Amino acid sequence: MATTALAPARPETMVRRTTALVPGLLLLAAVGYAGKFIEQSIAAYTKAHHTTFPNIEYVLWAIVIGLVIANTFGVPRVFQAGVATYEFWLKAGIVLLGSRFLLGDVLHLGGISLLLVAIAITLSLTFMHLLGRAFKLNPKLTSLLAVGSSICGVSAIIAAKPAIDADDEDASYAIAAILALGAISLFTFPLIGHSLHLSDKAYGLWAGLAVDNTAEATAAGALYSDAAGKVAVLAKTTRNALIGFIVLGYALYWSSRGQAHVVGNKAAFLWSKFPKFVLGFLLISLLATLGFFAKPQLASLANLSRWAFLLTFAGVGLRTSLRELVKQGWRPFAVGAIGELFIALLTLGLVYGADLSLRL
Amino acid sequence: MSSLPSPPRNGLSLDGYAVALALILALLVRLNLLPPIKW
Repeated sequence: MATTALAPARPETMVRRTTALVPGLLLLAAVGYAGKFIEQSIAAYTKAHHTTFPNIEYVLWAIVIGLVIANTFGVPRVFQAGVATYEFWLKAGIVLLGSRFLLGDVLHLGGISLLLVAIAITLSLTFMHLLGRAFKLNPKLTSLLAVGSSICGVSAIIAAKPAIDADDEDASYAIAAILALGAISLFTFPLIGHSLHLSDKAYGLWAGLAVDNTAEATAAGALYSDAAGKVAVLAKTTRNALIGFIVLGYALYWSSRGQAHVVGNKAAFLWSKFPKFVLGFLLISLLATLGFFAKPQLASLANLSRWAFLLTFAGVGLRTSLRELVKQGWRPFAVGAIGELFIALLTLGLVYGADLSLRL
Repeated sequence: MSSLPSPPRNGLSLDGYAVALALILALLVRLNLLPPIKW
């Protein structure tokens, strides 16, 4: 997830900026709601006619509609600012989702995730560097791809780019490759999960550990089941919390080679890279655990989170440009794809092992 | 990908606004100032 700053602005500028978001927000809502409408219409039709049709979640419909619009007509400029807010809705949705977790569950599943993430990150970073060397990629592009595929997709790349003084072009390549692979995982992960008969928890953990970008990980989880989506978000959030440490490691490595600026205050650096929405998620989870909300209120918060995710999933489709992916060339994509396959298999093995030994 | 999002300089980050909105909504729900949200 990208991190953007909204600097203080004069009131008239604020009003103009907010107004500029409206068309894109309406497009997100229309695409997301169309997905929901199609899912419900198919369910109502099959029920009324006593026929069977595989249940395709609104998540997939919303993404596909968005993909078709983005890659046929394109997203006109007037909609682009509002469409870009999908990350904002993702983060707000994750914070609200905290209400569906008791803090004990967060610590239990988060602890398991942390252990698996640590193992997966160490192995995948090593593997990606070997792969980058074999494909003769620029070492900084390899670093960006390694960070993106082992931690948190786009936001990790954006966090790492200034820290290691990488080129804009390298960062764009790495982002395009990560987004392409994220889109592919949306279609392949649920199929693999079903064919292996993974439990909701095991699948959610796998999606959260293996799918790079938070929006895609959330969608891949939700495509399997509601419960799997919940676990995927928790596992992915744990992964996100580690961005700062990995980026700091890379920044220290490249500055020791004289190819990036020196990191001054390491604690301040870690804090600046820490995804703050994780704290919001924990706070809402703590409040829910302490009984701050009544049962119907918890249901309302969960539904608000679903509505926020609906806008997110529409945005995932609308911002995926197949033209951009073709433009990037095959080598970064090949390194990303082989690395992703390695990470997917590795994390699947880890989740299987954890399921047997730790009883997820 | 023509342009990359810039990192935070001053002002509140996207995360900060998202957390603030979520907490405000949670408070409104807690105080029953919002009708029950359906899906």
